[in-house]
Amino acid sequence: MALENRRRVVITGAGCLSCLADSPGGLHAALVAGHSGLKAIELFSTDAIGCHQAGEIRPFDAQAYLPDRNLRPIDRTSRLLLVAAGKALAASGRPLEVAERDDGEIGLVLGTTFCSLRTIAEFDRRNLQLGPSYASPLDFANSVINAAAGQAAIWFGLRGLNSTISAGAASGLAAVGYATDQIRGGRANALLAGGAEELCFESFFGHYQAGRLCGSAGNRNEEKGEVPIPFDARRNGFALAEGAALMMLEDAAAAAERGAPVLAEVLGHGSGFDPLGTPESAARAVARAIRLALEEAGLGPLDVDALSAGANGSVDADRWEAAGVAAALGARAEILPVTAVKSMLGEALGASGGLQLVALLGTLEDGVLPGILGLEQTEEGFPFPGASPNARRLPGHRGSGAVTALATTLSADGHAWAVLLGSWRGSA
Amino acid sequence: MKSRIAVTGLGLVTPIGEGRQEVWEGLLAGRSGFAPVESFDTRGFSAHLGAEVRGFDPAPWVRRQDPAALGRASQLAIAAARQALDDAGLDPEALEPERAGVAMGTTSGEPREVERFDDKYLAGELEQVGDEFMGLYPCHMIAAHVARELGFAGDNTMIPTACAAGNYAIAHAVDVLRAGRADVMLAGGADSFSRITYTGFARLGAIAPERCQPFDRNRKGMIPGEGAAVLVLEPLERALARGARVYAELAGYGLSCDAHHMTAAHPEGDGAARAMQRALADAGAVPADVSYISAHGTGTPTNDRLETLAVKRVFGAAAKNTPMSSIKSMIGHTMGAASAIEAAVCALAVALDRIPPTMNLEEPEEDLDYVPNTARDLRVVLAMNNAYAFGGNNASVILRKHEA
Repeated sequence: MALENRRRVVITGAGCLSCLADSPGGLHAALVAGHSGLKAIELFSTDAIGCHQAGEIRPFDAQAYLPDRNLRPIDRTSRLLLVAAGKALAASGRPLEVAERDDGEIGLVLGTTFCSLRTIAEFDRRNLQLGPSYASPLDFANSVINAAAGQAAIWFGLRGLNSTISAGAASGLAAVGYATDQIRGGRANALLAGGAEELCFESFFGHYQAGRLCGSAGNRNEEKGEVPIPFDARRNGFALAEGAALMMLEDAAAAAERGAPVLAEVLGHGSGFDPLGTPESAARAVARAIRLALEEAGLGPLDVDALSAGANGSVDADRWEAAGVAAALGARAEILPVTAVKSMLGEALGASGGLQLVALLGTLEDGVLPGILGLEQTEEGFPFPGASPNARRLPGHRGSGAVTALATTLSADGHAWAVLLGSWRGSA
Repeated sequence: MKSRIAVTGLGLVTPIGEGRQEVWEGLLAGRSGFAPVESFDTRGFSAHLGAEVRGFDPAPWVRRQDPAALGRASQLAIAAARQALDDAGLDPEALEPERAGVAMGTTSGEPREVERFDDKYLAGELEQVGDEFMGLYPCHMIAAHVARELGFAGDNTMIPTACAAGNYAIAHAVDVLRAGRADVMLAGGADSFSRITYTGFARLGAIAPERCQPFDRNRKGMIPGEGAAVLVLEPLERALARGARVYAELAGYGLSCDAHHMTAAHPEGDGAARAMQRALADAGAVPADVSYISAHGTGTPTNDRLETLAVKRVFGAAAKNTPMSSIKSMIGHTMGAASAIEAAVCALAVALDRIPPTMNLEEPEEDLDYVPNTARDLRVVLAMNNAYAFGGNNASVILRKHEA
């Protein structure tokens, strides 16, 4: 469809929970200040595991955010989602009662890797230990991977389309892309999109065994310790984290009609997959994702003002993602300001993409891009001379102060996604 | 003008057989896929029947990866994917990798990997859990394994919207094709038989003791199953240009959410009705145009009653004249694979002008035409495939006869 004729998609509100902050503004400020949310885990014992730090949300008192409602049937992933979704709904100026009306129908597209692996595993273990009649039907309802999205729909009365997308660390960007397609296609006017993921023993242990966590399995190095610094030559894996980040995506015309605040426009998105697990194939997947996002936006590499990379400290994936960005953006990469917020937030899997984008909303507003905390030495051939440990002010876009920012992610299993956000310019 | 999408290949692995020919013949003959569960011990359960895929050998299908290093749902999905490509006359090696994508749905992903983890955990042998757990378990590995097997580098999306997931994956593939981001999409669903799933449905009292009887007043529940189905979808123009056989056109879809209850349908069938209405609007059709409805039809008391109610709400006077059957009466509830299998069956019904029956139907509770116990010859111009899920996720997909 011709660019000028299609529906435009804008972001009218955002909400988040993370190990650093529980609001988009607070998140941006903490990232710009270079604070780290990584600390020793208290949620479960890591005694049997050679790795101890994570981006845990502590304290997390869901009831304080959601008073007067029974949270007992709601597990941790769903609670994280409910809090962030409630904040995004409120920020977008859509009173919740609107969702109850047919003409105000709101949907949800949630990115998550596991939903609640802890709920699933505990349900099974209870059956094994005590017998099937002691396994809880309530837990079973929460054991499906779309449980959190279903709980949020019930909680807020979200009767629009409701979908769950899983693509590991790329889940959140994928969910925003999916929601954008749905709104552009005229199938929805308002969709919450983003992701949620909890930290739990089962996934932490699993990632440790798979050698994806700092100082673990394949690249264990006692002296070095845990070095989850994206793009740094010393990196040896990621720090797992948890969180939730949701944005209200709306058809621009519908948003304008109700006088909604517009934080940004979703200009484009794209994806690619690495079926071979080779450096070249992975970089191609990332480059394809970026190319498609730019094509959809009708923009070129020179229009990109900033990059939020999904790099998390993984030895291979960070390098491959950088190579893919460089391949897609060419000479632009050499002067591109780059951040990798997982240096401070950790790898929150399904929540990560949403957190990347919500953080970028702050950059779009004040033109300041966070740094890459702890970045000291990059590898030979590293394509972003513009990467820095410190936050910096962007030069601005063609003097207008408007910013176009790209978020990318390459997951550990080969899913690449790119989302392009821009300052809202002009009318729908 | 929306671009038209063709269904050109079908792959199926089900409790009553593998491949479109065997499954189709089985469904028309009313074959049953139910037997006592073999994959784990059901002592301690009040139910013992399941719809497992017996004797499945992944070796002929999983060629570029070690079959033993893949979860069962991935194995089933790859078998269905290769069958579908063969059926479409497409050689995966000859496709442009970046223009070929995968969209898959599932309820549980690879639950057997969690079960293995839990066995070790309780035995105090966690040190025996290796890197395979995270390499196999996450549900997105089903779509990833299919793409790795075939070398597909295009859009790769896993949609775990439980028992409606197959329809969600097909819907997403339609959008990817319409946006021009792929030439070929494999879309479907897969789930493996699972102790966790079985335990859950047993605790809900939802498993039938002897047989599955959708829409019968004496129905006693569903029977959990496993399987996979994959459809090859491509732009109609491209399919015709290469001389492909077109089973049907994928004419439209509709999604909605009940926002009512995690495991029970809306008491007035609200979300189900909205999904059907949206699918009809998307396909540019009205209820009277629909020749056949493939029901979700699990055989549980609540699903079937509310599904009938929702169809009556949407179809009005046309409801009684629109045949609706549930193949779950034969193959059980294959979870995330179910609506993909049913969509493939709708494509066959549209192509071959026959519809499968609802088996074990002796005393219909309501007055719709449930196609009791015998397959029927019927000109099928438009088939509607309905699916409902935990979380209140509803999805309807419409297939239309392709007429040159």
